[in-house]
Amino acid sequence: MSGDLRTIRALMGRGLNEILRVPGGAIPGVLAPTIFMLGLSAAFGKAAALPNFTADDFRTFIVPVGMLQGAGFTGAATGVNLARDIEQGWFDRLMLAPARRSVLLAGVVASACLRCLLPATFLLVVAFSLGVDWPGVGALALGALLIMGLAAAAACYATVLALRFRTQQAAPLMQVGTFVAILFTTAYVPRELLSDWLRAIADLNPVTHVLEGVRQGFIGDVTWAQTWPALVALAGLVGLFGALAVRGMRRQGR
Amino acid sequence: MQYPGPIAAIEVIGLERRFKGAVKAVAGIDLEVAAGEVYGFLGPNGAGKTTTVRMLVTLLRPTGGQALVAGFDVATQPADVRRRIGVALQEAALDPLMTGSELIELQATLHGIAPRTVRARGAELIERVGLSQAAGRRVGTYSGGMRRRLDLAMALIHEPEVLFLDEPTTGLDPTSRLTLWEEVRRLRDEGTTVFLTTQYLEEADQLADRLGIIAAGRIVATGTPAALKAEVGRPHLDLVLAPGTDLRRAHEVVTRFGDHRPVADGCHLSIEIARGAGDIAPILRALDDADVAVAELELRQPTLDDVFLAKTGEHLEGSGNPHSEAAAELV
Ligand SMILES: Nc1ncnc2c1ncn2[C@@H]1O[C@H](COP(=O)(O)OP(=O)(O)OP(=O)(O)O)[C@@H](O)[C@H]1O
Ligand SMILES: [Mg+2]
Repeated sequence: MSGDLRTIRALMGRGLNEILRVPGGAIPGVLAPTIFMLGLSAAFGKAAALPNFTADDFRTFIVPVGMLQGAGFTGAATGVNLARDIEQGWFDRLMLAPARRSVLLAGVVASACLRCLLPATFLLVVAFSLGVDWPGVGALALGALLIMGLAAAAACYATVLALRFRTQQAAPLMQVGTFVAILFTTAYVPRELLSDWLRAIADLNPVTHVLEGVRQGFIGDVTWAQTWPALVALAGLVGLFGALAVRGMRRQGR
Repeated sequence: MQYPGPIAAIEVIGLERRFKGAVKAVAGIDLEVAAGEVYGFLGPNGAGKTTTVRMLVTLLRPTGGQALVAGFDVATQPADVRRRIGVALQEAALDPLMTGSELIELQATLHGIAPRTVRARGAELIERVGLSQAAGRRVGTYSGGMRRRLDLAMALIHEPEVLFLDEPTTGLDPTSRLTLWEEVRRLRDEGTTVFLTTQYLEEADQLADRLGIIAAGRIVATGTPAALKAEVGRPHLDLVLAPGTDLRRAHEVVTRFGDHRPVADGCHLSIEIARGAGDIAPILRALDDADVAVAELELRQPTLDDVFLAKTGEHLEGSGNPHSEAAAELV
C-alpha cells in the first residue's frame, strides 16, 4: 500500500472515530432520513394514487430520496467537522503534513463515503420491514455506490465552504446547499407531474440523474441507460467541487 | 579568502505579513539561525511571534520578503520545507477523542513513516516524553503539561532538522517547564535546530544560544543573551524609600553616584553604578546624612528586561509600576 493510501486510511479512521466515540452523536444523522420517509409518506402517501404517478406506493418512491438525503447530510457534516477542526487548530496539523493536498482532501472526504451508508442502511431496514419492495442486490449495490459518490461530492462542497469561512457558523450554508440540490429534482413527484419551471430545473440539476440512478430497482429495472447519466453526473460533481476544495486548501494562509 | 559559513537552518530577509484591515503584524524582519543552535524569539503579547512562526512553517503566506528553512523557500517549496520541520504550535491541536498512541501513530503515518516502524517509533517517543503510562488514555483526559509533551513528541516523529516551538511553556507549572527545557537541550545536543518563541525572560536567557527580541513586528535586538545584557549596561541599584520620604532630595543624593535610569516595577529610584557592591555603602551613608530613609534596596545585574527596556522604552514582564510616575517627573 502506498503512502498516499495509508494517509487516506488513517484520516478516514479518525473521521469514523467520531461516530464511534461520541455517545449518541451519530443518532440524529442516522435517524433523520427514516423519520423523514415516515413523515412524508404519512402526509403525502395518497399522492401515489394520482394519474401519472410512476410508483404504486409512495414509500417505495421516497426511500431512494431518503438515501440521498442521508448522503447529503453526511457530506455537510463532514464540512462542519472540518470547520471545527480549523477553529480548533487540528487542520494546521493536517496542512503541515508533506502529503499532496488532494490526498489530504481524499482522507477528509473518504470517511463521509462510509458514514453515509449508516443512515441508508437504517432507512432500508425500516422500509423493508414496512413492506417496501425488495429492489434486488444489484440495485442496492449500485444505490450504495451512487450515494457514496454523492456523499463525496457533498463533502467536497461543504469543504469548500469550510475553507472559505473557517467557522462552524457556516454550517447552515453547507446543509441548505445539499438540501436544495436534492429538493429541486424529481425527488417528491415524478417528472411528468412537475410544473414547467420545476421540471426545467430538475432536468438541469445533475442530482436528478443520481436520484433516478438510485431509484432503479425500486421503480423499474436497473438499466445502463439510467446508470451512466448518474455516474457522469457524480463524476462531474466530485470533479468540480473536489477541484475547488483542493484549490481552497492550496490557498490557505493567504 | 572567504570560506562559506555553516549552512543556515533558517534565513529570513525582509519578511513581512500584513493582515486585511490591520497594520503589519510582522513589519520586515531579517534573521539567520545557524544549524544546530537554539534560537530564542522573545517578545510580548501581540509582538508578531506566532505570525512569524506560521510563515516559517508554511501555514501563512508572507506578504513580503523571503524565508528559507532548511534551504527551501517557504513560499515556493512548501512541501520540501514541511518534510524537514517539526512544529508545536501555541495551541496544541490534539483530537480529544483519540488516545495518545493513536494520535502519534496518525502523525507518523501523515509524515510517511514506514508502517512496520510506526508503532515502535510512536512508543519510543511517547516514552521519551514520559507519557507511557497515559498512552492508552484519551487525550481529552490529559493535563495541559501532558498535552504539550504529546504535541512535542508528535513534532519529533520524523526526526526533523528544524523544530519550531511556539511558546512551549506558557501555562505550564515550574516542574513541567524545567522538564521541557531539559528536552530542548537534549534535542540541541543531538543536533536539531530549535526556533523557540517565548515571552519569558528567564526561558530565553536559559535556553537560547542566540536571541532575537521582537516588538511590534520588528526585531529590535539580536545576539547572545550575555552580549545583549552587556550591551545595555552596568549593574544598578534599585531603591524603595520609606513612606513620607522626600523623593526629590533622595534623587539629588543618589545622582551624585551615578546616572539615574528608568525605574523598574515597585521601586522609586534606580541608579547605575560602576563598581557593583562596593558602591552601596557610600550611597547609603550619603542618604542617611540627608535624612532619607531607605525601605529596601537591591543590587541588580542587567537582565533581558533591561535590554528590552533600552530598545523599546517599555518593560517586557509585569504591567503597572506604582512608583514610576512619581519618579518620571523627577527625571
Ligand atoms: N488573522 C489575523 N488577522 C488580523 N490580525 C491578526 C491575525 N493574526 C494576528 N493578528 C495580529 O497580529 C499581531 C501579532 O500577532 P501574533 O499572534 O503574531 O503575536 P504573538 O507575538 O504571537 O503574541 P502572543 O504572545 O499573544 O501569542 C497582533 O496584533 C494580532 O492581533
Ligand atoms: Mg503567539
